[in-house]
Amino acid sequence: MSWFHTLAIALATITLAYFAALNVVYLAFTAIAWRDLNRHLRARGHAPDDEIFSSPVTPPVSVLVPAYNEEPTIVESVRSLLGLRYPLHEVIVVNDGSSDATLGRLREAFDLVPVRKALRVLLPTAPIRGVYVSRRHHHLWVVDKENGGKADALNVGLDVAGGELVCAIDSDTLVEADALQRMIRPFLVSSEVVAVGGTIRAVNGCEVRAGRVVKERPPRRLLPALQAVEYLRAFLAGRLGWNRLGGNLVISGAFGLFRREPMIEAGGYLHETVGEDMEVVVRMRRRGRRAGTGEQVVFVPDPVAWTEVPERARILARQRDRWHRGLADVLRRHQGLAFNPRYGRVGLLVFPYFLLIELLAPVVELVGIVAVVLGLLFGAVNIPFAVLFLLVAYGFGLLLTAWTLVLEQWTYRGYGRLRDRVWLLFVSLFEGLGYRQMTAVWRLRGLIGYLRGRREWGVMTRSGFTGDEQPSA
Amino acid sequence: MLEALGIGALVLAVLSVLFLVALVLRRTSLARAERRRNELEARLRPLALALVDGDEVEERELSAEERAILAEAIGRLSRSVSGEARERIGEYFAGTEAYTAEVGALRDHRAWRRATAAYRLGDMGCPEAVPAILRRLDDRDPDARAAAARSLGRLAAPEAAEPLVHTLVSGTVPRAIAFRALLDIGPGTLPVLRTLVHDPDQDVRASAIELLGWLGDASDDSAVIEGVSDPAAEVRARAAGALGRLASADGADVLTRALDDRIYFVRLHAARALGQVGEHAAIPALVRQAREDRFEAARAAAEALARIDPDALLAAADEPGAGPHLHEAADLLRV
Repeated sequence: MSWFHTLAIALATITLAYFAALNVVYLAFTAIAWRDLNRHLRARGHAPDDEIFSSPVTPPVSVLVPAYNEEPTIVESVRSLLGLRYPLHEVIVVNDGSSDATLGRLREAFDLVPVRKALRVLLPTAPIRGVYVSRRHHHLWVVDKENGGKADALNVGLDVAGGELVCAIDSDTLVEADALQRMIRPFLVSSEVVAVGGTIRAVNGCEVRAGRVVKERPPRRLLPALQAVEYLRAFLAGRLGWNRLGGNLVISGAFGLFRREPMIEAGGYLHETVGEDMEVVVRMRRRGRRAGTGEQVVFVPDPVAWTEVPERARILARQRDRWHRGLADVLRRHQGLAFNPRYGRVGLLVFPYFLLIELLAPVVELVGIVAVVLGLLFGAVNIPFAVLFLLVAYGFGLLLTAWTLVLEQWTYRGYGRLRDRVWLLFVSLFEGLGYRQMTAVWRLRGLIGYLRGRREWGVMTRSGFTGDEQPSA
Repeated sequence: MLEALGIGALVLAVLSVLFLVALVLRRTSLARAERRRNELEARLRPLALALVDGDEVEERELSAEERAILAEAIGRLSRSVSGEARERIGEYFAGTEAYTAEVGALRDHRAWRRATAAYRLGDMGCPEAVPAILRRLDDRDPDARAAAARSLGRLAAPEAAEPLVHTLVSGTVPRAIAFRALLDIGPGTLPVLRTLVHDPDQDVRASAIELLGWLGDASDDSAVIEGVSDPAAEVRARAAGALGRLASADGADVLTRALDDRIYFVRLHAARALGQVGEHAAIPALVRQAREDRFEAARAAAEALARIDPDALLAAADEPGAGPHLHEAADLLRV
């Protein structure tokens, strides 16, 4: 047997083992999600929401909105946040030195006036230029500061916040009116809960009025529609699965609710990473575990927020590249957690999963593809075997996606029109035929970029909820 | 190996098709069930309203499905009515099949069913269910405990006051829910609260005093004023807050003295309470606190000044060395 045959067989074995492990994990997650989602929905029938809403001791929430060049979406986002159904909440928008008219739009729309706000400086941040309050909505604050990045803006928000809980939200995210009510319960039930996340869905294609999604529709274009399916699977199956198996390491930067004190004690958001949303969760969990003060991170499967997903491959590539660099950075910074029994399931199960499966997935996937192509070229791969393997891999991916769609329809019944559901099913056929491979390339590029020391955010583009694409944060 | 892969591909294909069929069937059946339910509910709603309003209703035989939907509709209505209307709902459900089924379900082996039963019994408004619901406050399932606490509040059961205060202190029911339930029970809790303010457990004393602030009357002033001198800081802080809510003029001196308490959150609550009482004599002490105290206590003092005497606040904010809290409160006042 030549060295090439040996190499091909070795690569094929690794790829097969990896494929089997990955899919067993996904299958387990989906099965867990099925059970827990039904349980969660049954619990809604006896949830004392009215009592929580009307209780004078329900904890106040500060909603933090970091904004950098968000002119197209900021006013609509803030309007939707002001209309949240929650007994006591304030909205704090932090304008992170925008070079566009973000601040001007806010001043005009909400009649802002400057105030000399008393500030605690609990976390070091870039200088604050001014603080404004709205004449029309006294629970709306806008902090104008010099540019320091998203983490810096969130840290300013943490300093200014008066609530016991803080909700970090991207300014291009639309929130369901009862989102806070849905997410508050885990904090009330256990003082050990430090963070709660909810399901985020793609807003592209939806009908939006006055900052609210009024008609749930899937994106009309293929690329965002693929992301909509991907989001459904990631949130409904992935994060719900981790709820049961040791808790999540990620709370989406688009929308998450945190206990303020442990967040500040942990040092707030880290400036030097592009994965600041994951990093702060890992740090809080690590710190809480060491100090014995609680480190639970809970995922609530209810759809609570809507975010704009990239419409163009170029922008999506940048996003996935950045996400993967962020993941790599967080895993490197907290490598002490890996296989460390001191951190319980997080150390022994959750962290190793992110390290071995999430981080290395694009490497293994692309190596597998290259090995198959080379093997076919040099006759080292059995063609019927390769074809069947690809069919199984494709079929399994399709099965998981179909299962997620069924799960969603079984429970939340979004996307009311038959043609929307058919469109999403049709779209999922293409996930394994190029989209997955494309994202693997972008993620691999991110990993290589990280290893080469690339740390910048890159320019994103926002369409606005109704308009044309414009460059943004 | 090839055969195994072939079988695998076939199984996946079959499963995918099955899932898709399940998706279509489920959606269709749910849509049909929802349509039927909505139709029935729309038809039965006038009957539900008539029953709640105490109007004459034409007697007719209802199917089991209709009875269940009517029960749910009345249960939902009960959340937004009180007094005689609620009593009528209780009378309607007493001894019915639906009521008996829910009381029986309180002992179900499934936690969600116990929780649902505890919740629904609160909406049914039958006081006879109270002893059975009270036992669910010790349920091993947190949802069942929370639903029981909520329903005991809905039923305004005074006998639940003491157990609810204990769940509040132990945290076995979320504080927001237990607190709301106690407020819903209302003045019926007062005899128990007046005893518990002398409880040896400081957490029980603190909760009882806090609730007296919400539910008590002028006759409770002395017990609450006594609480401001309690050895436990948490009790002193809650007592200060309660005095503010009771708007006790007799407590103003005690509150002003509490601005010098060694624990900052007692000073914070005392400042807030002085703002609620509107005590002009405390203005110099509040100005000092707004300038010199820790962040939260200083902010509370500045806010209290804005409530007591806006002119005094504006004057204090214009003085040299006024500090950020007086500036902020003055700016907000102008806004």
